Amino acid sequence: MLPQVLFQNRKPRRIATMEEYCGSGGYRVLEDIARGKYSPADICRIVGEAGLRGRGGAGFPAATKWMSVPVDGAYPRYLAANADEMEPGTFKDRMLIHVDPHTLIEGMIIAGYAISASKAFFFIRPSYDSSAMILERELERARQAGYLGDNILGSDYSFDIILHRSGGRYICGEATALLNALMGKRPNPMKPPPYPTVKGLWNRPTVVNNVETLANLPHILRNGPEWYKGLARTKTGAGTKLFCISGKVNRPGCVELPIGTPLREIIEEHAGGMRAGSEFKACLPGGASTRYLTKDLLDVEMDFDSLSAVGHRLGTAAITVFDQKTCLVGVTLNLLQFFARESCGWCTPCREGLPYIRDLLWRIENGEGREEYIPMLRQMSRDVWNAYCALAPGAASPVESLLTFFEDEVREHIRLKKCPFSRPR
Amino acid sequence: MPVQSASLRIAMPRLVIDDLEIEVPEGTKVIEAAERLGIMIPRFCYHKALGSAGACRMCAVKFIHGPFKGLQMSCMIDAQDGMVVSTTDEEAVAFRRQVIEWLMMNHPHDCPVCDEGGQCLLQDETVSGGHGLRRYPGRKRTYHDQYLGEFIAHEMNRCIHCYRCSRFYQDFAGYRDLGPMQIANRVYFGRFRDGPLESPFAGNLVDICPTGVYTDRSSRYKARRWDLQRVPFLCIHCSLGCSTVASARYREVVRIEARFNKSVNGHFICDRGRFGYPYANLAGRPRRARVDGEDASLAEAVRAASGRLDQISMNAGPDAVALVASDRCSLETLAVLKRISREKGWTHPAVFPRPDLEHKTRRAVSRLDRRLAVSMRELESADFILAVGIDPVHEAPMLALALRQAFREDAGIVVMDPRPVSAPFDFEHVAIAPAEIGGCLSRITEALSALQADSAAQGKETRRPEAAGPLRADLDSRIAGIVERLKGSRNPVIVCGTDIVRDSTPDRAADLALLLLQLKGRPCLFFVLPGPNSFGAVLLAESPGRSFSDVVQDIEQGKVKALLVVESDPFKNFPDRERLERALDRLDLLAAMDYLPTSVVGRAHIVLPTCTVFERGGSFINQEGRVQRVEPVHEGGVPVHQVSGGGHPPRVFSHEVPGGEIEAAWRTAVEVAGYTNARDNLSILKIMAEEHPGFARCRDIPTSRSFRVLPDAGDRPPVCEETGDGAAPEAADTLEVVLVDRFFGTEELSGYSPVIQNADSEPLVFLHVRDAEPLGIAHSDWISIALEGGGLEVRAGVSAQMAEGVLVIPRHRLLEWQKLGPVPARIPFGRISKAGKE
Amino acid sequence: MIPEALKRELLERTARAEHPREMAVDVMYALQGYYGYMSDEAMEEAAEIVGMTPLELEELATFYDFIYRRPVGRYVIRVCDSAVCWMEGYQSVVDHLTSRLGIGLGDTTADGLFSLIPVCCIGYCDRAPAMLINRKVYGELTPEKIDRILQKLATGKPAAGEE
Repeated sequence: MLPQVLFQNRKPRRIATMEEYCGSGGYRVLEDIARGKYSPADICRIVGEAGLRGRGGAGFPAATKWMSVPVDGAYPRYLAANADEMEPGTFKDRMLIHVDPHTLIEGMIIAGYAISASKAFFFIRPSYDSSAMILERELERARQAGYLGDNILGSDYSFDIILHRSGGRYICGEATALLNALMGKRPNPMKPPPYPTVKGLWNRPTVVNNVETLANLPHILRNGPEWYKGLARTKTGAGTKLFCISGKVNRPGCVELPIGTPLREIIEEHAGGMRAGSEFKACLPGGASTRYLTKDLLDVEMDFDSLSAVGHRLGTAAITVFDQKTCLVGVTLNLLQFFARESCGWCTPCREGLPYIRDLLWRIENGEGREEYIPMLRQMSRDVWNAYCALAPGAASPVESLLTFFEDEVREHIRLKKCPFSRPR
Repeated sequence: MPVQSASLRIAMPRLVIDDLEIEVPEGTKVIEAAERLGIMIPRFCYHKALGSAGACRMCAVKFIHGPFKGLQMSCMIDAQDGMVVSTTDEEAVAFRRQVIEWLMMNHPHDCPVCDEGGQCLLQDETVSGGHGLRRYPGRKRTYHDQYLGEFIAHEMNRCIHCYRCSRFYQDFAGYRDLGPMQIANRVYFGRFRDGPLESPFAGNLVDICPTGVYTDRSSRYKARRWDLQRVPFLCIHCSLGCSTVASARYREVVRIEARFNKSVNGHFICDRGRFGYPYANLAGRPRRARVDGEDASLAEAVRAASGRLDQISMNAGPDAVALVASDRCSLETLAVLKRISREKGWTHPAVFPRPDLEHKTRRAVSRLDRRLAVSMRELESADFILAVGIDPVHEAPMLALALRQAFREDAGIVVMDPRPVSAPFDFEHVAIAPAEIGGCLSRITEALSALQADSAAQGKETRRPEAAGPLRADLDSRIAGIVERLKGSRNPVIVCGTDIVRDSTPDRAADLALLLLQLKGRPCLFFVLPGPNSFGAVLLAESPGRSFSDVVQDIEQGKVKALLVVESDPFKNFPDRERLERALDRLDLLAAMDYLPTSVVGRAHIVLPTCTVFERGGSFINQEGRVQRVEPVHEGGVPVHQVSGGGHPPRVFSHEVPGGEIEAAWRTAVEVAGYTNARDNLSILKIMAEEHPGFARCRDIPTSRSFRVLPDAGDRPPVCEETGDGAAPEAADTLEVVLVDRFFGTEELSGYSPVIQNADSEPLVFLHVRDAEPLGIAHSDWISIALEGGGLEVRAGVSAQMAEGVLVIPRHRLLEWQKLGPVPARIPFGRISKAGKE
Repeated sequence: MIPEALKRELLERTARAEHPREMAVDVMYALQGYYGYMSDEAMEEAAEIVGMTPLELEELATFYDFIYRRPVGRYVIRVCDSAVCWMEGYQSVVDHLTSRLGIGLGDTTADGLFSLIPVCCIGYCDRAPAMLINRKVYGELTPEKIDRILQKLATGKPAAGEE
């Protein structure tokens, strides 16, 4: 039986209650904190030892981010929980909220304590309104139980969580853009310096963490860093990971597995294998802004380091599987339509370059492709790396990998003056 | 190798750009360092005044050595020691070319019809960037345009989304009705609705936009950049003296742009200075000399004037001839008038319209010295500013922009003024009547110096100083707060206006500034003067204390029989129109020299047309004592398109320029004084130097450089005189009248522009809500004010953010405020009522 | 004008926030809930509540996908067109909806009941193809399921949410 940490209280067709969460050890860490067992520095140290890396796509070590809040930094400080999750293929944060919201709530309080924050914003995307309502209800329950608010469980620590519903844009998932959105400004990203941990919301130190990252915290503190590291299948990895699988598999869904579980195992054992008549052609291993991963790498261990060693990214660990009947030019075009539409419009490569790339892909897909578009696409997918934030480089990844691994398919479109695959219906 | 002066420990990173080495102050961006080497890295969104944005990606260069490697944006990275950068690296060049291609994807082929063509940053960088053939096969996105007012045209298809406009408009200037809307490649810069832009600095959008999205409507389609005669110039619409660029074509001033001045206005100018030039091109300008209603040649008219003036001199004595000038006269003109009045024995020139204006300006000028004077740019670094008797946006607009820059760096600002002041920065408004301002200043000075004495006396309790006069109790805490903030500040500045304050206020401001100089050791005094050359007028005053009121009195008493009015319109400022008309009717001779079609010119017996500053150049001294000189832009004469009503000029060949028979005022003045023989040998610089030693430098310093004519130490503070400044309002049921200037509508020169006449809003007379309520007056109601000279019907503005007990009346050209008669200090409530009309 | 009670509630909530601008999107959602969409009038009302100029609020409203500045139907049908849903039946869903409703993408039915607009990945990739109608998600769509949903909405009874 695979260790379930975040999903340990998973109930069929309903949400785990706060009582059930407490019954499995929930809020005990918070009680320990209230009793004075841990200082903020202790929390940072323990989480650092546990090797927890951000689960939002960047994989930045969580404790390192917390510790970059200057010791003499200004007050008040803020925590922002990033539930914007708009990376196509990704739905793990939604699952988390619907399975066990309190592991997330306790995680936020712990993180807030670690950085001496007094307030947190839970930033949630508009299509997750049902999740938002669940959270509002459970937050109120947590308040009633004394886990949130002034003087938590009789301690000196006061902390509360405000739910903020986003207006809905992919770029809001970018940490600095999220902060701008919270402040009621246009959600363009803001390139550091200063870093948000030094000057974030209203010029105060602010930490932005993905909700999956936060949900891990109670468990790390309950069971210790060694336990957490031991959960991984790789030597450098730590903990479990929520993997989303979608596409041409029998059982798309979200499963919690040890980080470093091989891709093949995830697809064949946990997602029910490829559908009848479908053979694995490629997948996006970590969401739409990663490179197509080809058949030869099916045994790769799904962890940050092991994927980057082979030139790929874990990202959000959202695996979208394509079969031999899927036109990857069409998929890439669809992805670029998404990215071009979601560009915030600040910098030239993303605002103008992505529509240019999209246009060329559209022509290739629709029988108007030309040979010269291939070097143009290659060049532009390199050039957009010089954009202001990571959206454009992410958008470039499917394009570049399409040309690297599936150039023949592209040439076929051009030669035939049409898409050789049948359109998805 | 780190470069640090061992003794000074100042870090000056040394880096190499394109094999050239340079040392720059810490914090300099690489793009700036390159510019100092003469290497202009291409850029769109970066602007010295607006800072770095990192949006356009055009300034990409290759970082070869140092903490950064590869292609990076040179505007976003501080120069660091040991960096090696290449702007010519192949990859950087190719990337920049790609950026241009991306920007040009949606750019319309408007160059032939776009005013920006020939002065367009996008054009320049497209060509130099090497992008030429279009290969993007897609369609261009297009936009609808908005009406943004009469000054600026909006053509959004040309936008390359550099965000300069919103960064200037919102961040730099602090206005909130223009900004970026939409998302992705349909981002749109505009207003919520069509309508005139609210910012009085919106015209700068025309300068900073790197394409033709925002263009100057006043000069639309008139010329290409290379057709224009362009000259570094000066704005003379207020006492700040901002630097501009004036352009002319076919004997017409076509356009004004901002010019960088590191001491005065930085990179920008206000809309009054930018769009106020049409007075120079008016079809109705006096161009032909007139004698007794008949056209005459200039020579004939000069002879007539000269002859008659001599006649009157002989019959009634030379002092029966009086001179009137104004503070829009150049130093050249004022110097000559001073000289000829002295030599001919004529009554010396009256420059200021009112005695109080003359007094206050003279006191301000005499107190300002090198140790105290703060330039407007230096004001941006102040950390606390106390501004008294000034409404920045209306009286000296660029001052408001400078104050905003200080505010952006967390400076505290207090404005002590009766008007409903609004400004694009947060400030504490102490809304008190003009009479109370001086008393507050004295109170602050005393408290500060008491604190100073106390801290020297080590720990004694702070004693409360004597009040300088009876003041309202609720002011105490405000004053105490200001004293505290001044005490705690590092670099405070006192800003003092000279229009609405009492006579002794400039001295009190200077007293406080002197104390602050002792305490903080930094310059801290900034006066705003009434006009563009008020400072010069004081320096060249032959009779200090004389104003136009004295002239009117002299005429009424029969002492003055002839008046020579030089570039002045007493009708504009004299508060009793009927009395003025009666006085002028008494004169044996009224001679007027001007370039404006004023009422005086209309009634004068002899009219001698003069050149505008565009046609003859001139020197002016700004509020800070800075002498600024400009050369002419064009040679003067009727604009070509006016000569023939728009058609081809008449095919009559002549050496004469139509309407070219005009002279600089100072030259004509010399001739009228009878010095015709000396005219051609005249050295105006010599005369200026002789009339005031400070102008000797004009000979040595080129026109391109300015210099301050300030003494090392100003006048000593005057002995405390009984001025009754702190006097409480006399009668509870009256309102004190405060006459004020507005951004548009009161300034003389810009008031002749038809576009500005349409743009200026309906004049409002302001009163406090607590004064308005008993009268049943609400904001925007029409009211009647019954006066000796007739009634005044005007719209009321009602505000809670102003002083009680005052009635703020703009000297608006549409408002017959001159009916007020001898400016009453107060108007009884009973004279004000809600008018019938809606 | 929004009802007094709603205005008061929004003003109170804004006063409680540390910075009024924080509430910009919340207030717009509330007014959009009342008016159906953010008209110019609604924008001006909302701006006043949070102390922003209409332009400043417009900068946000036109940026976000879920603030509607043009009239929309009572039920805004947002059909996901991102990669997984696109592969798993997006086109069929759209074709079925356009034929049932008689409108194209971006339009609203004449009776003002339904608008049809695409949306980017809504995070239901395991239940593709999916659509969002006024914040409720419906996944694993089939023509029959779509018909049932439309029927329930058209008759005024909200369909059961999928959660």
